[in-house]
Amino acid sequence: MIDTENIKVKRNLTALVEFSRIINSSLDLDFILNNVLLTCMGKFLATRGLIALKVHEKLQIKSSKGIPEELKKKFPEVSAADNTIDNEQFQNFFQEAKLQAVEKICSSDECLGVVCLGEKLNKSPFNEDDIEFLKTILNIAASAIQNSIILEEIKKVNRKLDTRIQRLNSLFELSKEFGIVSESTKVAKLLVYSVIGQFLVSKFAVVTFIEDGTRILETKFPEDQLLSILSCYDFSKLANPINEQEIISNYDKLAKIGIELIVPMELQGETKGLILLGKRINNQKYSESDIEFIYSTGSLAIISLENRRLFKEALAKQKMEEELELARGIQRNLLPKEIPAYNNFDISVLNLTSQQVGGDYYDVIPLDDNSVCITIADVSGKGVPAALLMANLQAFLKIICKQGMKLDEATALINDLVSENISDGKFITFFWMILENETKTINYVNAGHNPPLLIRDGKIIKLEKGGIILGVMKTFVPYLSESIQLKKDDVIILFTDGVTEAKNINDDEFSDEKLENMSLEISSSNAKEIMNNIKDEVQSFAKGTTQSDDITLVVIKVR
Amino acid sequence: MAEFSTSVKDAGDVNIIYLKGYLDAHTAPILENTFSNLVDSGRYSLVVNFRDLSYISSAGLGVFMAFIEKIRENNGDIKLSAMNDKVFNIFDLLGFPLLYEIYKEEDEAINKFSQIKKLENGK
Repeated sequence: MIDTENIKVKRNLTALVEFSRIINSSLDLDFILNNVLLTCMGKFLATRGLIALKVHEKLQIKSSKGIPEELKKKFPEVSAADNTIDNEQFQNFFQEAKLQAVEKICSSDECLGVVCLGEKLNKSPFNEDDIEFLKTILNIAASAIQNSIILEEIKKVNRKLDTRIQRLNSLFELSKEFGIVSESTKVAKLLVYSVIGQFLVSKFAVVTFIEDGTRILETKFPEDQLLSILSCYDFSKLANPINEQEIISNYDKLAKIGIELIVPMELQGETKGLILLGKRINNQKYSESDIEFIYSTGSLAIISLENRRLFKEALAKQKMEEELELARGIQRNLLPKEIPAYNNFDISVLNLTSQQVGGDYYDVIPLDDNSVCITIADVSGKGVPAALLMANLQAFLKIICKQGMKLDEATALINDLVSENISDGKFITFFWMILENETKTINYVNAGHNPPLLIRDGKIIKLEKGGIILGVMKTFVPYLSESIQLKKDDVIILFTDGVTEAKNINDDEFSDEKLENMSLEISSSNAKEIMNNIKDEVQSFAKGTTQSDDITLVVIKVR
Repeated sequence: MAEFSTSVKDAGDVNIIYLKGYLDAHTAPILENTFSNLVDSGRYSLVVNFRDLSYISSAGLGVFMAFIEKIRENNGDIKLSAMNDKVFNIFDLLGFPLLYEIYKEEDEAINKFSQIKKLENGK
């Protein structure tokens, strides 16, 4: 009797040692649980059994044998507390699953879960010895189970960490890359690749909002279709990402083409563009942290896109500045360097070039000791094209002046030449006159220029005789010229529309009337004073505005 | 700066793309080009050999996403092979094994194509 007991004890011990060796040799939780359960069932000849472990404080079946799936689903949500076993729901399940023995798996400091065993094959109940033995097995198993649980948790944490690191790497890499690439389409492409690679997306689009609408940088949808759908909605104020539910309820047209997520690309609180994404091929939904990642990449991209745009703008502006400087140079070179002095005439000139370089031109070309040709003109357009046309005009003038032609015929010839050399609707308003010093006479032709003012005895005579502006068509109707005998103290004021059309901050024009009135008042001054007076008046009128056109004045006072 | 390169081998119905070096946002356009050329010339059965690839970033993975749909629509596939652990880990992290067949050896991937071919011919 004692011998049989001994043999039994010895056999049990051997089995325990073997069991301990096996389960401690592995860190695979499933393997360990499977082994524990099989060992228990084998030892007690139980026909069914389960192991439930604590997951987030609740018990969850982790391994089972002989228990139908249907029944397993009924396993109650009970907390893994000390009194779990007495819990009513747990007891109900226990009965229904025909379980007979239950024992906790406890590590040194906490309860890890429970083992439940069904009735023995020989129908005998579990006795005290059995329970003792079961406890022994579970004590041995507890540390192995705990170790493998910890390992699994570490693995999970590691994987989360890996994902984080991987995302950070992506962001870091993109920010580096966005700094070097030079085209906006390439920025969009990198953005797209990163996002679709990260989230397994095959349908996507990236658009930016520009002044006159929406620009598609990348898309897998037909461009026309996408543009027309986007035009149905206003996304320009979109501050937060829109998820699938919101898209379905508020943007059904986008939902229909399969868009599940819209993430705005914001810069300084302004929505500059959108990232539109279709579904993830692995059928997972976009989580909060996914959307956050997409938002971050979008922000990086938009900074890069915006910088590129600003750079281009600056470049264009610089180019324009250079061009204007060139135009200014041309214009400056065309204007006379000095005005010859005549005993009967006091002549003063002024030319203020505007920021954009208008097309004002004036010239004083001495013909011989006695006579001088004075011209004023305004070429339509601004900048380099106007300056070049002006240069053309001057070349014609310089040649024609020396030919001794009559002024009306010469004007007709200049018009023909200009008409031949002008295109795209440009034209020149033009006035010229020849002053004879000795006789104090003028002969002039006005081709559509603001009529110069001749102020005599408190009255104004407008020098209007002439014809059509230069460059519109070849001379068809001859130009008329007029000769006037000047008298002492006569004043002639030649000006361009930069004077009369100068605007104040209320957008009112300086006006012909104002110029005429003030001319009458100041006509007793000398040429320079008259000129400065007009200049000061125009400038104080236009104070606070940007001068948009050139201002040119030629003032002649007869001595 | 040549930190990434691809080479393509013609193996009958299948093309094998060998990747070498670092595949990231900077070098992704190179691979994009390679895929583009193959797809444009109607080659849809592709095996990618990662043996000499030491790093891949999500932008690199994006290239695979950009072409897979068109390739599968044309009854083709991109099968991946011979990744080192580091590279596989990134594919795994982002869930690629669900969508792409990944093989230890290039030959396995090629054989998979020829098996399908045989099945189709057998019909």
